[in-house]
Amino acid sequence: MKLAVVGKGGSGKTTTAAVVARTLARHGTSVVALDCDSNPNLGISLGVGDDETERLIAMRQALDEGEQEHAPGWDDLLDRFGTDAPDGVRLAVVTAIQNPEPGCP
Amino acid sequence: MSNEVTAVRVALVGKGGSGKSAIAGILARALAQQGARVLAVDSDPMPGLSLSLGLGLVDAPIPDDAVEEKAEGEPGPRFRLRTGLSALDAVDRYAVDAPDGVRFLQFGKLRGHSASLMRSQLAFRQILDDLPPQSWSVVGDLPGGTRQPFYGWARYADTVLVVTEPTAKGLLSGRRLARLALGDARPGRLAAIVNKVTDPGDAEWVRARTGLDVLAAVPLDEAVGDAERHGAAVMDEAPDSQAVAVVTSLAHRLTEDRVGAGIGS
Ligand SMILES: Nc1ncnc2c1ncn2[C@@H]1O[C@H](COP(=O)(O)OP(=O)(O)OP(=O)(O)O)[C@@H](O)[C@H]1O
Ligand SMILES: [Mg+2]
Repeated sequence: MKLAVVGKGGSGKTTTAAVVARTLARHGTSVVALDCDSNPNLGISLGVGDDETERLIAMRQALDEGEQEHAPGWDDLLDRFGTDAPDGVRLAVVTAIQNPEPGCP
Repeated sequence: MSNEVTAVRVALVGKGGSGKSAIAGILARALAQQGARVLAVDSDPMPGLSLSLGLGLVDAPIPDDAVEEKAEGEPGPRFRLRTGLSALDAVDRYAVDAPDGVRFLQFGKLRGHSASLMRSQLAFRQILDDLPPQSWSVVGDLPGGTRQPFYGWARYADTVLVVTEPTAKGLLSGRRLARLALGDARPGRLAAIVNKVTDPGDAEWVRARTGLDVLAAVPLDEAVGDAERHGAAVMDEAPDSQAVAVVTSLAHRLTEDRVGAGIGS
């Protein structure tokens, strides 16, 4: 099953996604948690902490800047750019933080 | 005190849900109560400032036909205000009256097609460029998050306020915004507002973890949530609340800092 969580700022998207992911994982499902927020902080709600969350983002950024090779398939992507969160959830960051001032809005 | 020296231009950024709109609504009205002429601007594609100002859910867009494509060979961006329509005319005509004499305009609302958003954004830049900075204070409510955090505002705001909640995720966003602000589009002054404070140590925690000066610590205040529930302004429902008191002192402080900097005199 594939779930997406959307809503207004501060409404609890990230917290909900983290609780659902860990609950499913505890019931024996293999779970991949993808942070698609341009301000990614799902790692914090899942419980991997600040530093690991920032490390994932730095890796994701390096991919954009061509400093990291792209992985050939989804499983390699998760291997190389993901991290293990509690209860066996595998977390990866999909979006990169963007520019403060876009050329054209 | 005359308006000549009290105009401030403030933009509020921060994590989604940190309280940008709630604070922007109080701040705009507090500045107006202190005698400033205030333009409150909603730059969020998902607008919400009109509610915090006490206007209910109203729209105040720059209509498409107020903006035209520049003539062949004319310098500047592709779109500008229609010939004969000045920035002041546009504010006169399209801004909506909010309580305390605040004028309210929307620049960001998504209306189907992105060409319309671009027109509106370029009109916004022109209005902020042309609006006399000594006589108009501007409060801008920006979209949440770090995608395009300053949204064109860094060059127009004398102060960009990062609204930060004293939580792990709040601090992470605050740090990111502080870091992004070191890029090309560096605002004149970047400072934090700590919002939803519950502990006396919160302000210092945010200062230490973001490296930003904290200009105000707004308490977690039920009055803000209650007003929000009713779609009303906390300034009307609970003018004596702590949140209103703290943001009102912030309005004074921002004005004094401007006067102290000798700008506009
Ligand atoms: N000081 C406060 N005390 C209590 N509740 C608050 C306070 N400030 C904001 N809130 C509540 O937090 C929620 C989010 O506030 P608000 O909509 O102003 O945030 P925002 O940063 O503008 O969000 P978005 O990123 O979606 O635009 C609202 O329910 C509001 O009532
Ligand atoms: Mg808002």
